[in-house]
Amino acid sequence: MPLIEWTPELEIGINVIDGQHRRIVDYINDLDEAQKADDRDEIGRVIEDLVDYTYSHFEFEEALMEEAGYDALSIHQSTHLAFRERVDELKNRFVAGENVAGDLNELLQTWLIRHIMNDDQSYAGLVRQKMPRIEKQEGGNWISGAIRKFFS
Amino acid sequence: MAHLDWTSDLETGIQVIDKQHQRIVDYINKLYHAQQFHSREEVGTVLDELVDYTLSHFAFEESLMEEAGYPFINAHKKVHQLFVRRVADYQQRFKMGEDIADELLNTLRAWLINHIRNDDQDYSEDVRHNMENVSAKKTGGWLKRFFG
Repeated sequence: MPLIEWTPELEIGINVIDGQHRRIVDYINDLDEAQKADDRDEIGRVIEDLVDYTYSHFEFEEALMEEAGYDALSIHQSTHLAFRERVDELKNRFVAGENVAGDLNELLQTWLIRHIMNDDQSYAGLVRQKMPRIEKQEGGNWISGAIRKFFS
Repeated sequence: MAHLDWTSDLETGIQVIDKQHQRIVDYINKLYHAQQFHSREEVGTVLDELVDYTLSHFAFEESLMEEAGYPFINAHKKVHQLFVRRVADYQQRFKMGEDIADELLNTLRAWLINHIRNDDQDYSEDVRHNMENVSAKKTGGWLKRFFG
């Protein structure tokens, strides 16, 4: 039984972001399993992977918000930064040998999930509106142009 | 975790991209073997090759996304850049004499699998459609070989 079940309320309607959030939820569940098994090596590995993945996700998300002209971008960025500082601190305490399971679970389950459900929902509409999937146009693009030029 | 196996769920359906991803997986496995045989020199060589190849792959992939009008190309590029910086840090630490192979292998495997499964899958439909349009116009033989 996973700690967090993925539910439609967690979806923000941008597939690539939903996929990233889903992966983060998977990592939180993996971490929970490793903690239950009291497997310190595995806990360390999952923390590393989870942190790396989350940072990469923040980078992606901030680029989207910036491009869409989201007016609360700087607030959202400082929220990401605060999360990074908190998670780095917990990671360091873990490496120093401390048991950070409780604090980490609280940060991930309450903060991160709430962040997805509230803060991320609030930029999603604008991104969907400003950055729709562009309909494909016949020809007129640089690769086909270059092919015609060099290979025909 | 040892050998990284290529599985069909990693396929994007774009042949040329899948081949490049497979080649990156091969490099990761080569790196693992070099580490297993405790060959620092070999780890260094494979790491340099892996970085070179991955940079070309990213540039190629970004051109395809751009050409297809994929809307999230800039965000995708940022994720590539972040990864390049991280691997460059590992390269630097390696050159300073640190044994980074284990940590690096873990990062590479996790990053690549996650990235292919989600972020690359997301552009694949746009790129495939665009390639089908280009192919349908019979504008060039080499595209047929890549995307036909």
